[in-house]
Amino acid sequence: MYPQHSLGASSRACATSSSHSPREIRTVPKASVRSVAASLTRRVALGGAAVLLASCASDDPPPATGPRPGPGVGLLNSILVHEHAVVAAYGTMDELLRGESSRYARQIEEQERGHVRRLEELIRGLGGSSARSRTPDEYARSFPRLQTAGDALRFANDLEERLVRVYLQALPALPEAKLRRAAAAIASDEGAHLAVINVLRGRPAAPQPFVTGTL
Amino acid sequence: MRGAAITRRNLLVGIGAAPLAVASAAAAAPRSDLELLEQLLRLERRLEATYEAAYDRSILGDELARSLRDQERAHVDGLEKTLSVRGRRPGPAPGADPRLAIALRERRTFARYALELEARAIRAYVDAEASVRDIRLMQPLGAILTTETQHEVALRAALGEPLLGV
Repeated sequence: MYPQHSLGASSRACATSSSHSPREIRTVPKASVRSVAASLTRRVALGGAAVLLASCASDDPPPATGPRPGPGVGLLNSILVHEHAVVAAYGTMDELLRGESSRYARQIEEQERGHVRRLEELIRGLGGSSARSRTPDEYARSFPRLQTAGDALRFANDLEERLVRVYLQALPALPEAKLRRAAAAIASDEGAHLAVINVLRGRPAAPQPFVTGTL
Repeated sequence: MRGAAITRRNLLVGIGAAPLAVASAAAAAPRSDLELLEQLLRLERRLEATYEAAYDRSILGDELARSLRDQERAHVDGLEKTLSVRGRRPGPAPGADPRLAIALRERRTFARYALELEARAIRAYVDAEASVRDIRLMQPLGAILTTETQHEVALRAALGEPLLGV
């Protein structure tokens, strides 16, 4: 179980390292970034931690000069960084999954690509520029070693849980109703993805009343 | 002349439309957080009653019906407490939906009915996220929202339909 706060901080940490970050993102103290990194590093099981930490090490170019983008761009970009990594992660699961699992993984990957496009559209609408995806090789180096279909589904479970938290924790920080509506709609997709992965793992689709474990 | 006539007509239409415009503006006025919470509570109570009935009639599979009922009950409890701490006493439970009695005659019909309710709840939560003012409510409502989408997957699995509904 991940600490309730970790992804919010992690998201901000990602945004902090992204050169597209707006003011509100840059104020995250370095100590909290370190503690999140430490708590994630302690996880030795298969998980999205490696993905997320690797994703944070963005080497995006500095933003173009011009009018300052609207508030929310940095946060949306930090979510976009997660989504890029998740799309790449599903790509690496392909060779391990068969039949129904493979079919659903591809469907989910396609929906995640849709989320990437939606986030890019929102960021553009705010006058910002989108964080770019890294190369598949760069992502692959940071992913855990997956050897079986079970490994792949556990990894997918971990990624989807994290995405749900990323979106829910972003909600209070998104300044516009339109952005919150979009984030909530995508979060609901991620909840469904998590449920599908649960079913593929032979578990109940909805194991608890609150996806994040608490109200 | 023509211009004057149009102007008079516009004016008359404008006068006639004024009360409508006022009513429409009232209807479109942003709802308070309490009103939003009450609307969500009504939906959750309906869902709880729906799965309770499914459990009583063994229409969906006892384990699934009980689990969905218990989760909706947890949502109801959470929303009632949230309203209580804001000084609002939750209203009475909604009356029975006549469509539920029909839906309960057959498993597939019931699952379709429940899917419709879940979809309505999901739309309401997404709308609530856009309009709720108290930012402390956003994450908890989001946690319920994502659970309702999981319920949709559970119902589709019970129907043997594509899990993502596409």
